[in-house]
Amino acid sequence: MSFLTPLFLLGLAGLAVPVIIHLIQRERKNVVQFPSLMFLQRIPYQSVQRRRIRNWPLLLLRLAALALIVAAFARPFFRRPALAAAGAGGPREVVILIDNSYSMGYGDRWSRATAAAREAIGQVGPSDRASIVFFSSSAEVALKSTPDRSRLNGAVSAKKPGSGATRYGPALKLAGSLASESSLPRREVVMISDFQRAGWQGAEGVRLPDGVMLTPRAIGEDNTSNLSVTPVSLQRSTFSEQDRVTVTGGVTNHSPSAASNVELSLEVDGRSVQTERVSVEPNSSASVTFAPFTPAARNTRGTVRIAADKLPLDNAFHFVVSPKESIRIIIAERPGATRDASLYLSRALALGETPPFDIATRSVDALSTDDLQRASVVILNDAPVAQLTGERLAAFVSKGGGLLIGLGSRATWPAGAGSTDILGATLGQPVDRTTGQAARLGALEYGDPIFEAFRAPRSGDFSGARFYSYRTVTPAKDAQVLARFDDGAPALVARRVGNGRVLLWTSSLDLQGNDLPLKAVFLPFVHRMVTTLASYTERPSWLTVGDVLEAGRAAPVPGTTRQVQPRVVLAPSGERVTLDGEGPDVLELTEQGFYEVRAQGRDAAPPMTVASNVDLSESDLSPMDPQEVVAGVLGRADGAVPAGTNVSTTDLEQERNQRVWWYLLFAGVVILGMETLVGNRISRSGPVQV
Amino acid sequence: MGFGTRGVTKLEYAKMLAGCLTYLVHKQRDRVGLVAFDSDIVAHVPPSAKHMDVVLHVLDRLTPAAPGSLRAPLHKMAEHFGRRGLLVLISDLYEDPDAVLEAVGPLRFRGNDLIVFHLLDPAELDFTFDTPSAFEDLESGVQIPVVPDKLAEQYRTLVRAHINGLQERFSANRIDYTMVNTSSPLDHALFSYLTTRERLTRVR
Repeated sequence: MSFLTPLFLLGLAGLAVPVIIHLIQRERKNVVQFPSLMFLQRIPYQSVQRRRIRNWPLLLLRLAALALIVAAFARPFFRRPALAAAGAGGPREVVILIDNSYSMGYGDRWSRATAAAREAIGQVGPSDRASIVFFSSSAEVALKSTPDRSRLNGAVSAKKPGSGATRYGPALKLAGSLASESSLPRREVVMISDFQRAGWQGAEGVRLPDGVMLTPRAIGEDNTSNLSVTPVSLQRSTFSEQDRVTVTGGVTNHSPSAASNVELSLEVDGRSVQTERVSVEPNSSASVTFAPFTPAARNTRGTVRIAADKLPLDNAFHFVVSPKESIRIIIAERPGATRDASLYLSRALALGETPPFDIATRSVDALSTDDLQRASVVILNDAPVAQLTGERLAAFVSKGGGLLIGLGSRATWPAGAGSTDILGATLGQPVDRTTGQAARLGALEYGDPIFEAFRAPRSGDFSGARFYSYRTVTPAKDAQVLARFDDGAPALVARRVGNGRVLLWTSSLDLQGNDLPLKAVFLPFVHRMVTTLASYTERPSWLTVGDVLEAGRAAPVPGTTRQVQPRVVLAPSGERVTLDGEGPDVLELTEQGFYEVRAQGRDAAPPMTVASNVDLSESDLSPMDPQEVVAGVLGRADGAVPAGTNVSTTDLEQERNQRVWWYLLFAGVVILGMETLVGNRISRSGPVQV
Repeated sequence: MGFGTRGVTKLEYAKMLAGCLTYLVHKQRDRVGLVAFDSDIVAHVPPSAKHMDVVLHVLDRLTPAAPGSLRAPLHKMAEHFGRRGLLVLISDLYEDPDAVLEAVGPLRFRGNDLIVFHLLDPAELDFTFDTPSAFEDLESGVQIPVVPDKLAEQYRTLVRAHINGLQERFSANRIDYTMVNTSSPLDHALFSYLTTRERLTRVR
């Protein structure tokens, strides 16, 4: 018998306490002086010189109760071998976890992993059941709880290493869930992996259920060497009004020996445009900057590649670049406006580079349908709008265009509820704050994309701007007030109309009604309004396997309808996935390479290409001790766990399974009850002198 | 006699009682003397009409010292009394009643009148202790463990029997016996003395 907390046995010393009290304690030395003991000495009284044990059963009951309680706290258990502890017999529930991260494609790891899996399947008896779980960054059940060994072997044979990175936590959590669902008496998890250090981020809160045995089978090698490319750096520049992209790629050497003359080539649209050679020291990186190139078209595909080695997936890094696409903006002014009526607005927009803004200025009367078809955003700068122009603008917005209206003193909009009712508010009278204290912006809706960039401290101060005049407006029910003046009057009102959006700025966009154009916050504020109206989002040049591709958020298509269209995603392996808009409009990237997203139907958006790369942390093949995983999910590991050997269950698990302490505590309580009964009976029969 | 639980010990009570008696005797122009004893005679003032101050002085200086007994000092005292008179014995009489009677017998034989004041503290009468303790004999220093709850009743029975025994024996021998509780005023004891003095005067 062993004890989990043997220090509690020191409590057995307490057994001596009642014995000492019974045997040693004398009468209390309280002396009373009395004139004569003549009468007292005549009384036949049994004076006590030394206490003696009178009721051995009572004493033994007390000692036994104390000993049992102390033993219960020491948590005794009977140590048994692991297999015996897991259950002397009975059918088993086996969950076989197979690592199919892309590092398992290194050398012959996968064949050894499948061999280990088949060996584990071979040990599944007729009354046993087994499940197959493949895992990388996520875990999936290939076959659940079946005794059919041929099906289990078939599931193993059908799988190949994927492009994901190793993460042990999800797999162990799924295995624990499968094991806990089983009603079989013996439950075991077999984990087959190369046990990369990079994949272990602690137990991540995973704890296998009580009684579940974890058997790791490491199939990694001690000595590995691997070269991988690093994520590229893209530097954009402009030369002769053309976009140029400078690519910097690198190589990481995950091996103890140096790699010399490693060829690093840059491919653009599948053609190798430049090759450089680098030498890399052991466990270090080197980088190369390629000559700049001009992306000729949207979705230009680029790849930085090195020669294939034992782990080919991390030898290429893909990216997508496109020429800069400007947002086309029309600034519509009132007829007869001065040349500098939109000076601050146009100058602020001219400074935009990501994205650049293509600005055209028109008189609001001259705003044609062709202009609106080419534009993404129209800005009405204190312009009176006629009925016809208002209808055109309403149609433009409903198709997805953006409309920003700056309400100077001369701005009007066709009245009445009709086809032109797209404003988010009803226009009212101007408010003059030139006398007294000027108005200031009091409340901003920082949750809206327009003001989100100004949420952090010292990222833009609107409170310094003074407003001398603005228009009172009555917001519509479906409009949202994004900013208010200090008197509560709306300053910026937003409203969605069809696929587009309308922003109503109740003051002017120049110095006529406020001094905001003189403030530093004016430029980013105008940029945020325009990019929000144009639904502009900056697409990353690449994603990582495991990321989610939001196919619905394709590149903006100015002037086209943006209703939900069926989209087809073409994976690098050639697999086609249709996103029809009824199900989830996202797709998890599972392969390395280029995904192509095509919209279907008339007015379809142009194709979108997304580069997908493997997680390069997987390139570091440094192994870890499987014992760490066992200890992490079981709380304790007994001894070293060489590859392919069973891990014995811990003392804690054995003690938990046996729960001897509970019986000891129960017996102690019962004996204490008996002691109470005996004590009461003795006390009723005479004076208690134990 | 040095025991007391109510602010005054039996010896102090005896000294006050003896002092009062001395004063009364002196005022009646009788001669007064004093013998103090424990196991032997420790102080002796011969009877005289002028010895009241000496008697009071000796009384004042008396302290409890050695263990006491009755027989030896009283027999020695009897040998020195040449003239008959009135003898007053003040004691706690912690001896067997027969032994007490045997001790005071010589005093009575010479025709003396004898008054015995038996002084007892209330604790000696009622035994009001409640804590198990070691009881120590004030005179001998012997200790015995006592659980008062278990023997108080027996003790009180023995004390009553002792008092009754003394009373019966003294009465049979025409000795005035008065049990005095030291928690009671002196008048009870003095009244007992005056009654005896009056009776003796009538006889004479």
